[in-house]
Amino acid sequence: MSERQNAGEVDERGRSKVSDVDRSLYDFVKSEEGYERYDDGLTPEIVRAISAKKGEPAWMLDMRLEALEVFHERKMADNWGPDVSGLDMDHISTYVSPQTKQARDWDDVPKDIKDTFERLGIPEAERESLAGVGAQYDSEIVYHNMREEVAKQGVVYTTIEDALQDPKWEAVVHEYFGRLIPMRDHKFAALHYAVWSGGSFVYVPEGVTLDYPLQSYFRLNASGAGQFEHTLIVVEPGADLHFIEGCSAPKYYEANLHAGAVELYVKDGARLRYSTIENWSKNMYNLNTKRATIGSDARMEWVSGSFGSHVSYLYPTTILQGDRSSCEFTGITFAGATQDLDTGCKVIINGADCTTSVDTKSISKDGGINTFRSSLVIGRHADRANASVSCSSLMLDDISRSDTIPAMDVRNRTAQVGHEATIGRISDDTVLYLMSRGCSESEARTMVVNGFANPVSKELPLEYAVEMNNLIKLEMEGAIG
Amino acid sequence: MAETIAEAPSYAAVEHVNQPPAQTWNHLRINGCSLRLPSPARKGEVLARLPRIFSQLECGIGDEAVSWVESVAGDARYVEVPQGTRRAEPIVVDVDASGFAVEDTGVMLREGSEATVVVSVRGQGGHSASLLRVIAEAGSRLHLVEVVAPGSGSTHLEGVGIEAAEGARIEARQYALGGKSLAMGFATKLGGTSSRLQLDCRYVVRDADELDVNHVVRQLGRNSRSDIVTSGFLGERAHKAMRETIDLTHGAKGARGNETETVLMGGDEVVNKTLPVILCDEDDVQGNHGASIGSVSAEQLGYLTDRGLSEEEVNDLFVRAIFDDAAIHAPEASSREAALARAEQLLGPEAARDVAEGLGLSPATTDAREVSA
Repeated sequence: MSERQNAGEVDERGRSKVSDVDRSLYDFVKSEEGYERYDDGLTPEIVRAISAKKGEPAWMLDMRLEALEVFHERKMADNWGPDVSGLDMDHISTYVSPQTKQARDWDDVPKDIKDTFERLGIPEAERESLAGVGAQYDSEIVYHNMREEVAKQGVVYTTIEDALQDPKWEAVVHEYFGRLIPMRDHKFAALHYAVWSGGSFVYVPEGVTLDYPLQSYFRLNASGAGQFEHTLIVVEPGADLHFIEGCSAPKYYEANLHAGAVELYVKDGARLRYSTIENWSKNMYNLNTKRATIGSDARMEWVSGSFGSHVSYLYPTTILQGDRSSCEFTGITFAGATQDLDTGCKVIINGADCTTSVDTKSISKDGGINTFRSSLVIGRHADRANASVSCSSLMLDDISRSDTIPAMDVRNRTAQVGHEATIGRISDDTVLYLMSRGCSESEARTMVVNGFANPVSKELPLEYAVEMNNLIKLEMEGAIG
Repeated sequence: MAETIAEAPSYAAVEHVNQPPAQTWNHLRINGCSLRLPSPARKGEVLARLPRIFSQLECGIGDEAVSWVESVAGDARYVEVPQGTRRAEPIVVDVDASGFAVEDTGVMLREGSEATVVVSVRGQGGHSASLLRVIAEAGSRLHLVEVVAPGSGSTHLEGVGIEAAEGARIEARQYALGGKSLAMGFATKLGGTSSRLQLDCRYVVRDADELDVNHVVRQLGRNSRSDIVTSGFLGERAHKAMRETIDLTHGAKGARGNETETVLMGGDEVVNKTLPVILCDEDDVQGNHGASIGSVSAEQLGYLTDRGLSEEEVNDLFVRAIFDDAAIHAPEASSREAALARAEQLLGPEAARDVAEGLGLSPATTDAREVSA
């Protein structure tokens, strides 16, 4: 704990200040020397080069080239969302690769890259509590491994590039890739399909339950570069998977871009929990797209923590296609100085007797901008749908901003929808009450903020809850007051 | 009465109507609407216009719609309530929705004054609009009742813009009871310390009618307060979009904004869109929103059907309650008659007579033919 924090810094109104997220854990840079880096900008030649490097089937190259055209055609909506004018694709390299092969043993990973992931705690987490790990460094996966007993159950956890090289899985990738998030979805979906690289392909056979989660970690080390990983997960009927995604990058003064895509297919009776801790650096434009389609009696659970990025557009989408399917979204967003984070979720209910629960929290400080944006669409045939949406926003100072923009479109009279939203600050009464019980002011405020974030942190696996603590909880202790 | 243009006008779409201050995904089609309305046809006339100060007011329906109203309206009507006075007679804006009628009204409530303003819209089959702008100076009090009850064949545009200074209080009741295509915008700027808005909005949308609403409250004043309560019934193939925005701006310390909506869905093909927005640029504020959307619960329905009511009659009970409320709160004849005439169209003469008799009115007053004539 720093001396400044111990001193209990206060603002001009005598109120305790909350310090910034401590990024020292993530903010270190490794040399790019010897890396393969494609020219900045977007051209058909660059797209062809990425495809050729991966030795892809022709259909994938055709898809990339078509997506490139769509990217150039499409405009960003100009009536909503944070400003992305600082993002200039002519100054972004879409492919940067360390000159190393994918390893299955951390000892085979180049030392500086291994050191990066060691510092992020990935190998340790793998040893202790994960069924498999994929680690992406810039544009390529550098490490991929899965426990043998999981592989024996028929679970496939590999890169999409590797899956495309296997005739058995190439057909599966072809069937699912780009179907849930079409390239015409929006401008940056098109960009993604033009230059995607890395990511994960997960296939969980029917009836298989993984006792431990799989985890992919994405590290963008290069400056002025983009990361465009694609995650494709198929959970067959009755199967059960927890997938964890983490990401981080060091801070630079030029813009970086993350435009990944996540397509999740959860079949009848299956369950998928998808947990994300997003901690990109504050020069990152995070324009990520995530979408899941859920079969009958199946369940989708999202746990999402957004802490980093300069600008975020992030709205995981769930399509409850099957009858009696359900979805739970739990999210927290923390926006500090220079951040404009537009996050939330979308739920589309088409099946009968479906349930949805959305619970989000946001914290704004030091001029940070938080926007909770959601949509809930209940279709004509979604009989007896039951949905609740709750969003709470905490303002920690008077120079920050917090907006809630939830849209609902209900087309079935048998639906029951509840929605609530609150925005406010930590009330003086609450702080005084806790102080009257013997807490210091800093302890009281910390307690309130921790309690505010707790519904999300308790949903995370232990090691990620610890990471989240690194990001907000521990920072607030002693820093408030 | 409303200005009427005899010759058949040409029509054009007025775009960007009811756009909320903060928009969202365009594919949801909730960022505004457009209305097909007669094009401006006046030439060479010198018409009375409101004092320029009224042009500064945001009106909820959007700048394009305000321009359209100003370009097609006849003489604008300006009413001033002197300082410290209480105007006994309501200021009535009576709009005939059976032809083409457009009203442009400005009301200046001087410091400490009090007045009631009534907008009533009745008749059917035509195109109409009313734009009301009110400047409420410090300590003044405005009671506003809008009974917008055109028949099912009508297109109506209803705009309200209010600016409230220190300690000014706005109590508004809106009843959206009809119209094939009805767009209502309502914007209030709570600019003064401790200024206050209480808005109650009730609606009935049936058949294939469309209701599009945009409520905006800009809270700039310290300790300002807004409470918006909306509720309504959607039947058959009704289509409703409700946007509610509470904007808690920087410096509005101590401001509170609350909005709640209850929607009763009574038709198999209804479309209910809701966009409840809270914008917050200040920490020492509170903004709350709550919404409940659904149909009559199985328990309630079972209770009522056990007593001999059909499901349609159960729905009519809820609709009837809204008409009762409108008739009770209508402060003068034109608004009351607008509500009763529309009740007769939707619920039948017997129900309309019941509503009237509940108010102690003679049946003759409720004759819809007389009212709409």
